[in-house]
Amino acid sequence: MPQQIIALALIIFFLIKLFRQRKKNIISINEFRFWLGFWSISAIAIVFIKELDKLLKALGFSASGINFLAYTSILILFYLVFRLRLKIVKIEKDITKIIRDEALNK
Amino acid sequence: MKISIVIAGWNEEKNIGQVVDNIKQHFSEAEIIVANDGSTDRTEEIAKEHGALVISHKINRGQGAALQTGNSLAIKHGADIIVHFDGDNQFLVKEIDEVIEPIIKNEADIVFGSRFLGKDSSMPKAKRKIIMPLARLFNKIFFGIKLSDPQCGFRAMTKETAQKIIIKNDRMAHCTEIMAKAHKYKLKIKEVPITVIYHEFGQSMSGGFSIIKDFIYKKLSN
Repeated sequence: MPQQIIALALIIFFLIKLFRQRKKNIISINEFRFWLGFWSISAIAIVFIKELDKLLKALGFSASGINFLAYTSILILFYLVFRLRLKIVKIEKDITKIIRDEALNK
Repeated sequence: MKISIVIAGWNEEKNIGQVVDNIKQHFSEAEIIVANDGSTDRTEEIAKEHGALVISHKINRGQGAALQTGNSLAIKHGADIIVHFDGDNQFLVKEIDEVIEPIIKNEADIVFGSRFLGKDSSMPKAKRKIIMPLARLFNKIFFGIKLSDPQCGFRAMTKETAQKIIIKNDRMAHCTEIMAKAHKYKLKIKEVPITVIYHEFGQSMSGGFSIIKDFIYKKLSN
C-alpha cells in the first residue's frame, strides 16, 4: 500500500509537469497525448495491482504485477531510446544539409 | 577533360600545403578542392595560400559529408572526373594517373584504389590481418561488394557517377556506401593497386563497429 501511494504521488507529479509543459506550449499535442496515456495507464496498473497479479497468474505468467510493470517499463525505455537515436540521426542529416548549402552558396 | 581533386581535410595544417603543392606539380591543370571540414587550425588559410580552392564547413561534419560537399562543388565547376584524395600525405600523387586511367579509357565509371593488389603498403599487421578481412566480409555479406580493399579513400569517378552516388553517411561509413551504391547502380567498377604510407594506425576495431552502427541507424532512419 505505501509503495502504491508513493508511485501514484510520483505519477501525479509527472502529470502536473506534463500539463504545465503543454500549457506553455513546450510539447506538441501528440507528445502530450502519448505521455498522458502512458502515465494514466501506469496509474491504473498501480491502482489495480492485485487484479494485475491475478490476471498474470491466469495467463500463466510466474511474474507478479509489479515485476511485469518493471519489465514493461524497461521495454518501453529501450524503444524510446531507439526512437530518440533515430531522431538524432535525422537531425544530424539536417545539420549537414544546412552546413553544406551554406558552404556551397558562400 | 577537367579533373577535380577533392581533399577532405580536418585539422590538416601540417600536411595540406605539401599535398596541394605535390598535386599542382603533377597536375597543373587539375582543380584542387579542399573541403575543409570545420578545422580549428590553419588548414583553410594554408590550403588557400598554396593555391587550392577551399570550401569550408562551419562545423565538423565528418569525412563523408566533406567529400560530398567537395563533389557538389566539383560538379558545379564542370568537372569530368572527380578524384578523392587524402590530405594527410599518405597517398602518392603520381598514382592519381593510374587511378584515373581506366576512366579516361572508358573502362570504368568508378575506380577504387586498393592496398591489397600487390603494391607495397606499410599497413599495420593487426589492420591487415584482422580488421580488413572482417570489413571485407561485412561488405560481402551485407552489400555483395567483392572488392579487395573495403576502406580505401583513394578513388576516382566520372561526373555522372558522382551525380548518382550521393554520399549520405557523414562519417567513415561513406567508403562502404560508395562501393555499395556503385554495385547497386551497376556501374563499371575497377580496382587499381595503390601505395599507402601510414603515419598513424587509422581506423581501429572500435572505428569499424562505429561504421556498422552508423550504417544501421542510417538505414533505419531513411
